[in-house]
Amino acid sequence: MPDDRFFEPELETMPRAGIAALQEERILELVPYVYERSALVRKKWEEARVKPSDINSLADFTERVPFITKDDIRQFRDQARDPFGGLLCTGYADTTTVFSTSGTTGDATLYAHAWDRWHPFWAATARDLWEIGVRPGDYVLGSGFKMRGPLYHADQMCGAIPVLVNTGIGGWDAALDAIRRFRPVYAQLTGLALAELDHLSRSHDMRELFSSFKGAAFAGEPLGARARQQLRDWGVEVFVWTSTGDVTGAWECRQHDGCHAWEDCVLLEAVDPAGSAQVADGELGELVATSLDNPVTPMVRFRSDDIIRMTRQPCACGRTHARFWPVGRKGDETIVAGRCFVPMDIWRALEQVPQTSTALFQLVRPAREIDELKIRVGYDPDTTTSLPDLRDRVSEVIAAVVGVPPVLELLPEQELLTRGRGGKLPRLVKS
Amino acid sequence: MTQASTTAAAAALPRPPQWGIGRYDLAGRPVYFEVSWDDWQRDTAWARGMLAGHGVGAVKGDGELGGGLVIIGGMAESPWFDPFETAARELGAPYSIGEIYAFEAFRTGMYARRLPVTMIFGIDRTVAEGLGDELAEVVARVPVIVARPDAAGLLAAAGAAPFIVTRLGPAIAVECPHRSGAHVNGAEWTLTQAERGGEVLISTVGPRAHRVSQAATGLRGTLTEGRCGCGRTGQRVTITG
Repeated sequence: MPDDRFFEPELETMPRAGIAALQEERILELVPYVYERSALVRKKWEEARVKPSDINSLADFTERVPFITKDDIRQFRDQARDPFGGLLCTGYADTTTVFSTSGTTGDATLYAHAWDRWHPFWAATARDLWEIGVRPGDYVLGSGFKMRGPLYHADQMCGAIPVLVNTGIGGWDAALDAIRRFRPVYAQLTGLALAELDHLSRSHDMRELFSSFKGAAFAGEPLGARARQQLRDWGVEVFVWTSTGDVTGAWECRQHDGCHAWEDCVLLEAVDPAGSAQVADGELGELVATSLDNPVTPMVRFRSDDIIRMTRQPCACGRTHARFWPVGRKGDETIVAGRCFVPMDIWRALEQVPQTSTALFQLVRPAREIDELKIRVGYDPDTTTSLPDLRDRVSEVIAAVVGVPPVLELLPEQELLTRGRGGKLPRLVKS
Repeated sequence: MTQASTTAAAAALPRPPQWGIGRYDLAGRPVYFEVSWDDWQRDTAWARGMLAGHGVGAVKGDGELGGGLVIIGGMAESPWFDPFETAARELGAPYSIGEIYAFEAFRTGMYARRLPVTMIFGIDRTVAEGLGDELAEVVARVPVIVARPDAAGLLAAAGAAPFIVTRLGPAIAVECPHRSGAHVNGAEWTLTQAERGGEVLISTVGPRAHRVSQAATGLRGTLTEGRCGCGRTGQRVTITG
């Protein structure tokens, strides 16, 4: 039963020993289940000479069970002509929904759930919205994309009323009207939404508009320093969230000290990005996820390519589940003329130029090592008076950060936004 | 399990009567409308009948693939389309969701290509155009396409014989396999036609949270009364512009 602070007090503040026991119980149920049913798991385990009988504890699982990568799933999908890449553990007839990953970093892969009342991907999110302060009878802006299913299920689980208006590209002017009218307490934001809100802030009193908000969530890509400050200036407490290897979400609490993974739902590991050893608490590692509550397409030691720092130290909010801080994507590092940089470096540079401060850009990177620093940059045509001048200023700030002068393709922001997918703009593109 | 525990926690909370708030435009002005949980349940029951009429149901066969849907509607269209998603779930038909953005059209194409999809419901012109050269392949693969009026011509040119689904202010109308106009739920809504111009007007007749009387829909069309070949007796509308 929810209390003032926690949606599920006992589960959210469960002692670590209890979490470990619960995870071990679920893992020992999962092991024979997936070995029997998941064609990809069986293939990987047979290649690694691992049998279910070898796994008798959580420690056995994390030491012996082989990893699965997104490339493994895609390869199996293409070779076996299996749309689910060997992950489906039930009949297709037993699934309720089949959704897909965003597809921003390659071709999207499928995952499925069976459910009855609330979509499982968002079920645990009710805990996170409760923490933001969403309560029965509150209006919330039922925003975001639907490709992962009805996010408003989490709103409705908290007893809130979603105001379902268009918050996609070009929709925020109308959404502000809904905010004015219903005074919602929460909304979901993306980088593309912030770019639009930045423009609208010139003609709207954002502080007044957002004064009803208890918080807003942000996901999809890193939140730049300028955008974070802007939201602060508007009086919006922003809660960053991210995916735990496509299993479920992990959201910041009011302490804003890492994203809480719900470990009754996902077994989370941080492993050496170049190897297989677990890294120490707080060290950089690659997020590895195992589904504990999806019998349809469970991920089993899925290497997400997400680089994180993780801790299992209890949070000051009282929750005991693991927290992590997203750092970037494995392979994001790019080398040009012997110099190494990551997309966030470009982001920070563009934030310094008013006409490109929304940091909408794409790095054209056919390979990890490139000869030429080619960047597609979105600019605000309303405030740009001279493109040659803008080109010089953008070149200067990027060269200062990366150490190499860029080859720029300047595009009006709206034109660049059309290249977005699933609420975010792919930052690394091949062409 | 997490799903079970969070569902139990949610069930312990007081629930407001509203399922959600939607918005449609009337002569360029926004109209917000409330959908109650009772409205949503009746809408779902009606949607279940409309989908079942098109053959949507549980996938047959042990381990065989077949019978999925792609439902195309944005988050803001959920007051109209969620009842069809819920109906698909209740009928036991797996479904996927496509968004109504050109840059998301690839997802609809991907589902149609990779999954045994037997119905696409709600495709509009943006997605049809966004599919580009893939549209003909999608049309060839998917036996039943229920399209928005603005996509019908494009789909027909690609070889489809689409049925029509259209939003009508706060309501929705769906064509059945008999193709005698798109049915509205007569227990909830009634349609009339403006004397001048033929614009379709809508009025609430059911016990809905949102009540309108002779509200303009912005669509022109012809109305048909009487029994349809599917057995339903309510009004049908054929959108003409």
